[in-house]
Amino acid sequence: METRPGLREIERKAWLRTFEHGLWDIAIGLVLLSFGAAILSGFYWLSPIWVAALIPSMRDLARRLIVPRIGHVTFMKRRQRSTARISLVLFVLALAGGGVFLFTAWSTRGAAPEWVGWIRSHFLIVIGLIWGGALVAGGWAADFPRLHAYGALVFLTLLGSDLSAGYNLGHALTAVGGLITLIGVGLFVHFLKRYPRQPIEEIGEADG
Amino acid sequence: MARRQGADGDLIEIDRVIHEPARLLITAHLYVVESADYVFLMQNTGLTWGNLSSHLSKLEAAGYVEITKDFIERKPHTMVKLTSEGRRAFDAYRRQMKALFDDLPG
Repeated sequence: METRPGLREIERKAWLRTFEHGLWDIAIGLVLLSFGAAILSGFYWLSPIWVAALIPSMRDLARRLIVPRIGHVTFMKRRQRSTARISLVLFVLALAGGGVFLFTAWSTRGAAPEWVGWIRSHFLIVIGLIWGGALVAGGWAADFPRLHAYGALVFLTLLGSDLSAGYNLGHALTAVGGLITLIGVGLFVHFLKRYPRQPIEEIGEADG
Repeated sequence: MARRQGADGDLIEIDRVIHEPARLLITAHLYVVESADYVFLMQNTGLTWGNLSSHLSKLEAAGYVEITKDFIERKPHTMVKLTSEGRRAFDAYRRQMKALFDDLPG
Protein backbone atom coordinates (compact mmCIF):
# COMPACT_ATOMS: atom_id res chain seq x y z
CA MET A 1 0.00 0.00 0.00
CA GLU A 2 1.34 3.37 -0.93
CA THR A 3 1.62 5.83 1.93
CA ARG A 4 1.85 9.58 1.75
CA PRO A 5 5.31 10.56 2.98
CA GLY A 6 3.99 13.70 4.68
CA LEU A 7 4.61 14.90 8.23
CA ARG A 8 1.11 13.83 9.27
CA GLU A 9 1.80 10.30 8.03
CA ILE A 10 5.17 10.22 9.82
CA GLU A 11 3.46 11.23 13.06
CA ARG A 12 0.61 8.76 12.64
CA LYS A 13 3.00 5.91 11.83
CA ALA A 14 5.01 6.67 14.96
CA TRP A 15 1.78 6.85 16.99
CA LEU A 16 0.45 3.53 15.65
CA ARG A 17 3.79 1.86 16.36
CA THR A 18 3.12 2.45 20.06
CA PHE A 19 0.07 0.15 19.73
CA GLU A 20 1.83 -2.66 17.87
CA HIS A 21 2.76 -4.47 21.09
CA GLY A 22 -0.78 -5.68 21.77
CA LEU A 23 -0.78 -4.91 25.51
CA TRP A 24 -3.82 -2.66 25.15
CA ASP A 25 -5.60 -5.51 23.36
CA ILE A 26 -4.66 -7.93 26.14
CA ALA A 27 -5.91 -5.45 28.77
CA ILE A 28 -9.27 -4.97 27.01
CA GLY A 29 -9.63 -8.72 26.44
CA LEU A 30 -8.84 -9.52 30.08
CA VAL A 31 -11.33 -6.92 31.34
CA LEU A 32 -14.12 -8.52 29.27
CA LEU A 33 -12.90 -12.01 30.21
CA SER A 34 -12.98 -11.09 33.90
CA PHE A 35 -16.62 -9.97 33.60
CA GLY A 36 -17.50 -13.22 31.84
CA ALA A 37 -15.65 -15.33 34.40
CA ALA A 38 -17.27 -13.38 37.25
CA ILE A 39 -20.75 -14.07 35.89
CA LEU A 40 -20.04 -17.75 35.26
CA SER A 41 -18.43 -18.31 38.66
CA GLY A 42 -20.73 -16.03 40.66
CA PHE A 43 -17.76 -14.21 42.26
CA TYR A 44 -18.81 -10.73 41.06
CA TRP A 45 -16.54 -8.93 43.55
CA LEU A 46 -13.45 -10.39 41.84
CA SER A 47 -13.95 -8.40 38.65
CA PRO A 48 -13.34 -4.81 39.95
CA ILE A 49 -10.30 -6.00 41.95
CA TRP A 50 -8.94 -7.69 38.84
CA VAL A 51 -9.45 -4.55 36.71
CA ALA A 52 -7.88 -2.30 39.38
CA ALA A 53 -4.80 -4.55 39.49
CA LEU A 54 -4.59 -5.07 35.73
CA ILE A 55 -4.09 -1.51 34.46
CA PRO A 56 -1.05 -0.59 36.65
CA SER A 57 0.47 -4.03 35.92
CA MET A 58 0.12 -3.44 32.18
CA ARG A 59 1.77 -0.03 32.49
CA ASP A 60 4.68 -1.59 34.39
CA LEU A 61 4.99 -4.35 31.79
CA ALA A 62 5.00 -1.76 28.99
CA ARG A 63 7.78 0.21 30.73
CA ARG A 64 9.93 -2.91 31.17
CA LEU A 65 9.31 -4.67 27.84
CA ILE A 66 8.15 -2.13 25.29
CA VAL A 67 10.28 0.99 25.90
CA PRO A 68 13.65 -0.85 25.52
CA ARG A 69 12.42 -2.12 22.14
CA ILE A 70 10.73 0.81 20.44
CA GLY A 71 12.02 3.60 22.62
CA HIS A 72 10.34 6.36 24.53
CA VAL A 73 8.50 9.23 22.91
CA THR A 74 6.46 12.12 24.19
CA PHE A 75 3.83 13.04 21.64
CA MET A 76 2.29 16.46 21.21
CA LYS A 77 -0.54 17.48 23.56
CA ARG A 78 -3.24 16.29 21.12
CA ARG A 79 -1.89 12.74 21.21
CA GLN A 80 -1.32 12.81 24.97
CA ARG A 81 -5.02 13.52 25.36
CA SER A 82 -5.73 10.49 23.14
CA THR A 83 -3.83 8.19 25.53
CA ALA A 84 -5.89 9.54 28.40
CA ARG A 85 -9.03 8.78 26.39
CA ILE A 86 -8.08 5.09 26.00
CA SER A 87 -7.64 4.82 29.77
CA LEU A 88 -11.03 6.48 30.07
CA VAL A 89 -12.56 3.86 27.75
CA LEU A 90 -11.22 1.05 29.96
CA PHE A 91 -12.57 2.87 33.00
CA VAL A 92 -15.99 3.28 31.34
CA LEU A 93 -15.98 -0.42 30.47
CA ALA A 94 -15.30 -1.29 34.09
CA LEU A 95 -17.88 1.18 35.35
CA ALA A 96 -20.51 0.02 32.86
CA GLY A 97 -19.86 -3.57 33.95
CA GLY A 98 -20.43 -2.64 37.59
CA GLY A 99 -23.54 -0.71 36.59
CA VAL A 100 -24.90 -3.70 34.72
CA PHE A 101 -24.49 -5.98 37.72
CA LEU A 102 -26.25 -3.48 39.97
CA PHE A 103 -28.98 -3.03 37.38
CA THR A 104 -29.47 -6.78 37.15
CA ALA A 105 -29.85 -7.05 40.90
CA TRP A 106 -32.29 -4.10 41.00
CA SER A 107 -34.36 -5.11 37.99
CA THR A 108 -35.14 -8.57 39.38
CA ARG A 109 -37.18 -6.91 42.15
CA GLY A 110 -40.93 -6.72 41.56
CA ALA A 111 -41.22 -2.89 41.64
CA ALA A 112 -39.23 -2.28 38.45
CA PRO A 113 -41.05 -0.18 35.75
CA GLU A 114 -42.18 -1.60 32.39
CA TRP A 115 -39.25 -0.34 30.32
CA VAL A 116 -36.95 -2.25 32.63
CA GLY A 117 -38.73 -5.38 31.54
CA TRP A 118 -37.92 -4.59 27.90
CA ILE A 119 -34.26 -3.99 28.75
CA ARG A 120 -34.20 -7.21 30.74
CA SER A 121 -35.56 -9.18 27.79
CA HIS A 122 -32.94 -7.62 25.46
CA PHE A 123 -30.26 -7.46 28.11
CA LEU A 124 -27.35 -8.67 25.93
CA ILE A 125 -28.10 -6.19 23.15
CA VAL A 126 -28.06 -3.30 25.65
CA ILE A 127 -24.73 -4.46 27.09
CA GLY A 128 -23.38 -4.95 23.57
CA LEU A 129 -24.36 -1.40 22.66
CA ILE A 130 -22.72 0.05 25.82
CA TRP A 131 -19.44 -1.83 25.55
CA GLY A 132 -19.26 -1.96 21.78
CA GLY A 133 -20.08 1.76 21.62
CA ALA A 134 -17.45 2.59 24.24
CA LEU A 135 -14.80 0.71 22.25
CA VAL A 136 -15.77 2.33 18.94
CA ALA A 137 -15.79 5.78 20.59
CA GLY A 138 -12.39 5.02 22.15
CA GLY A 139 -11.02 3.92 18.77
CA TRP A 140 -12.22 7.14 17.19
CA ALA A 141 -10.95 9.35 20.03
CA ALA A 142 -7.54 7.71 20.22
CA ASP A 143 -7.06 7.06 16.47
CA PHE A 144 -6.63 3.35 17.35
CA PRO A 145 -8.39 1.44 14.51
CA ARG A 146 -8.44 -2.02 16.14
CA LEU A 147 -10.81 -0.71 18.81
CA HIS A 148 -13.47 -0.25 16.12
CA ALA A 149 -13.19 -3.91 15.20
CA TYR A 150 -13.32 -4.94 18.87
CA GLY A 151 -16.38 -2.75 19.43
CA ALA A 152 -18.13 -4.42 16.49
CA LEU A 153 -17.02 -7.87 17.72
CA VAL A 154 -18.39 -7.25 21.23
CA PHE A 155 -21.71 -6.00 19.87
CA LEU A 156 -22.10 -8.82 17.33
CA THR A 157 -21.20 -11.51 19.87
CA LEU A 158 -23.73 -10.20 22.38
CA LEU A 159 -26.34 -9.72 19.66
CA GLY A 160 -25.76 -13.30 18.50
CA SER A 161 -26.03 -14.52 22.07
CA ASP A 162 -29.28 -12.62 22.54
CA LEU A 163 -30.76 -14.14 19.39
CA SER A 164 -29.70 -17.70 20.21
CA ALA A 165 -31.20 -19.18 23.33
CA GLY A 166 -28.26 -21.42 24.18
CA TYR A 167 -25.86 -18.70 25.34
CA ASN A 168 -25.82 -16.25 28.21
CA LEU A 169 -23.85 -13.08 29.03
CA GLY A 170 -21.13 -14.99 30.89
CA HIS A 171 -20.41 -17.29 27.97
CA ALA A 172 -20.52 -14.43 25.44
CA LEU A 173 -18.14 -12.18 27.41
CA THR A 174 -15.76 -15.04 28.12
CA ALA A 175 -15.68 -15.91 24.41
CA VAL A 176 -15.16 -12.37 23.11
CA GLY A 177 -12.73 -11.43 25.94
CA GLY A 178 -10.76 -14.61 25.31
CA LEU A 179 -10.61 -13.92 21.58
CA ILE A 180 -9.38 -10.31 22.05
CA THR A 181 -6.83 -11.50 24.62
CA LEU A 182 -5.56 -14.12 22.17
CA ILE A 183 -5.26 -11.50 19.41
CA GLY A 184 -3.32 -9.32 21.88
CA VAL A 185 -1.00 -12.20 22.84
CA GLY A 186 -0.39 -12.91 19.15
CA LEU A 187 0.47 -9.26 18.52
CA PHE A 188 2.71 -9.21 21.61
CA VAL A 189 4.68 -12.29 20.52
CA HIS A 190 5.03 -10.85 17.00
CA PHE A 191 6.18 -7.55 18.50
CA LEU A 192 8.85 -9.22 20.69
CA LYS A 193 10.20 -11.05 17.63
CA ARG A 194 10.10 -7.97 15.38
CA TYR A 195 11.67 -5.57 17.86
CA PRO A 196 14.56 -7.08 19.79
CA ARG A 197 15.71 -5.28 22.93
CA GLN A 198 18.13 -2.47 22.03
CA PRO A 199 21.17 -2.23 24.31
CA ILE A 200 21.68 1.18 22.78
CA GLU A 201 22.32 3.31 25.86
CA GLU A 202 25.08 0.97 27.02
CA ILE A 203 26.71 1.16 23.55
CA GLY A 204 26.39 4.91 23.67
CA GLU A 205 28.06 5.09 27.05
CA ALA A 206 30.88 2.81 25.87
CA ASP A 207 31.44 4.98 22.81
CA GLY A 208 31.71 7.94 25.11
CA MET B 1 23.71 27.92 4.74
CA ALA B 2 24.14 27.52 0.98
CA ARG B 3 22.55 29.60 -1.74
CA ARG B 4 21.05 27.83 -4.75
CA GLN B 5 19.51 29.02 -7.96
CA GLY B 6 15.70 28.59 -7.84
CA ALA B 7 13.62 27.49 -10.84
CA ASP B 8 12.17 30.98 -11.34
CA GLY B 9 15.54 32.66 -11.06
CA ASP B 10 15.11 33.78 -7.43
CA LEU B 11 17.79 32.85 -5.00
CA ILE B 12 16.57 30.31 -2.48
CA GLU B 13 18.46 29.67 0.70
CA ILE B 14 18.66 26.01 1.53
CA ASP B 15 19.70 24.94 5.01
CA ARG B 16 22.21 22.17 4.37
CA VAL B 17 22.18 21.04 7.99
CA ILE B 18 18.55 19.98 7.51
CA HIS B 19 18.75 19.23 3.77
CA GLU B 20 20.92 16.09 4.20
CA PRO B 21 18.47 13.09 3.86
CA ALA B 22 19.23 11.39 7.19
CA ARG B 23 19.06 14.67 9.11
CA LEU B 24 15.87 15.62 7.29
CA LEU B 25 14.37 12.31 8.44
CA ILE B 26 15.50 12.95 12.03
CA THR B 27 14.21 16.53 12.14
CA ALA B 28 10.90 15.48 10.51
CA HIS B 29 10.38 12.88 13.25
CA LEU B 30 11.37 15.29 16.00
CA TYR B 31 9.14 18.00 14.51
CA VAL B 32 5.96 15.94 14.99
CA VAL B 33 6.66 14.94 18.61
CA GLU B 34 7.70 16.82 21.73
CA SER B 35 10.72 14.63 22.46
CA ALA B 36 12.03 11.14 21.72
CA ASP B 37 14.90 8.91 22.77
CA TYR B 38 17.62 7.31 20.64
CA VAL B 39 15.85 3.96 20.36
CA PHE B 40 12.67 5.59 19.07
CA LEU B 41 14.62 7.58 16.49
CA MET B 42 16.56 4.50 15.39
CA GLN B 43 13.41 2.43 14.96
CA ASN B 44 11.53 5.15 13.09
CA THR B 45 14.31 6.42 10.84
CA GLY B 46 16.06 3.09 10.19
CA LEU B 47 19.44 4.66 11.01
CA THR B 48 22.14 2.80 12.91
CA TRP B 49 23.37 3.99 16.29
CA GLY B 50 26.58 5.41 14.79
CA ASN B 51 24.81 7.27 11.99
CA LEU B 52 22.15 8.64 14.29
CA SER B 53 24.70 9.76 16.84
CA SER B 54 26.83 11.49 14.20
CA HIS B 55 23.88 13.34 12.62
CA LEU B 56 22.46 14.36 15.99
CA SER B 57 25.85 15.83 16.91
CA LYS B 58 25.69 18.00 13.80
CA LEU B 59 22.13 19.08 14.56
CA GLU B 60 23.13 19.82 18.14
CA ALA B 61 26.13 21.86 16.98
CA ALA B 62 23.77 23.92 14.80
CA GLY B 63 21.57 24.52 17.83
CA TYR B 64 18.66 22.63 16.26
CA VAL B 65 18.33 19.84 18.83
CA GLU B 66 18.73 19.62 22.56
CA ILE B 67 20.11 16.35 23.94
CA THR B 68 19.53 15.61 27.60
CA LYS B 69 20.85 12.61 29.52
CA ASP B 70 19.30 11.30 32.67
CA PHE B 71 19.00 8.00 34.50
CA ILE B 72 15.88 5.86 34.68
CA GLU B 73 16.20 3.04 37.22
CA ARG B 74 19.99 3.57 37.23
CA LYS B 75 20.19 3.11 33.45
CA PRO B 76 21.33 5.97 31.20
CA HIS B 77 18.57 7.43 29.08
CA THR B 78 19.04 10.05 26.37
CA MET B 79 16.19 12.23 25.18
CA VAL B 80 16.30 14.43 22.08
CA LYS B 81 14.15 17.47 21.46
CA LEU B 82 13.93 19.95 18.61
CA THR B 83 14.79 23.42 19.92
CA SER B 84 12.67 26.43 19.00
CA GLU B 85 15.49 27.44 16.65
CA GLY B 86 15.39 23.97 15.09
CA ARG B 87 11.61 24.18 14.72
CA ARG B 88 11.93 27.59 13.02
CA ALA B 89 14.67 26.27 10.72
CA PHE B 90 12.55 23.27 9.75
CA ASP B 91 9.54 25.51 9.05
CA ALA B 92 11.73 27.74 6.88
CA TYR B 93 13.12 24.69 5.06
CA ARG B 94 9.58 23.43 4.35
CA ARG B 95 8.55 26.80 2.97
CA GLN B 96 11.67 27.04 0.81
CA MET B 97 11.28 23.55 -0.64
CA LYS B 98 7.57 24.10 -1.27
CA ALA B 99 8.33 27.38 -3.05
CA LEU B 100 11.02 25.66 -5.11
CA PHE B 101 8.83 22.75 -6.24
CA ASP B 102 5.63 24.77 -6.64
CA ASP B 103 7.53 26.75 -9.22
CA LEU B 104 7.91 23.76 -11.55
CA PRO B 105 5.83 23.99 -14.75
CA GLY B 106 2.98 21.47 -15.28
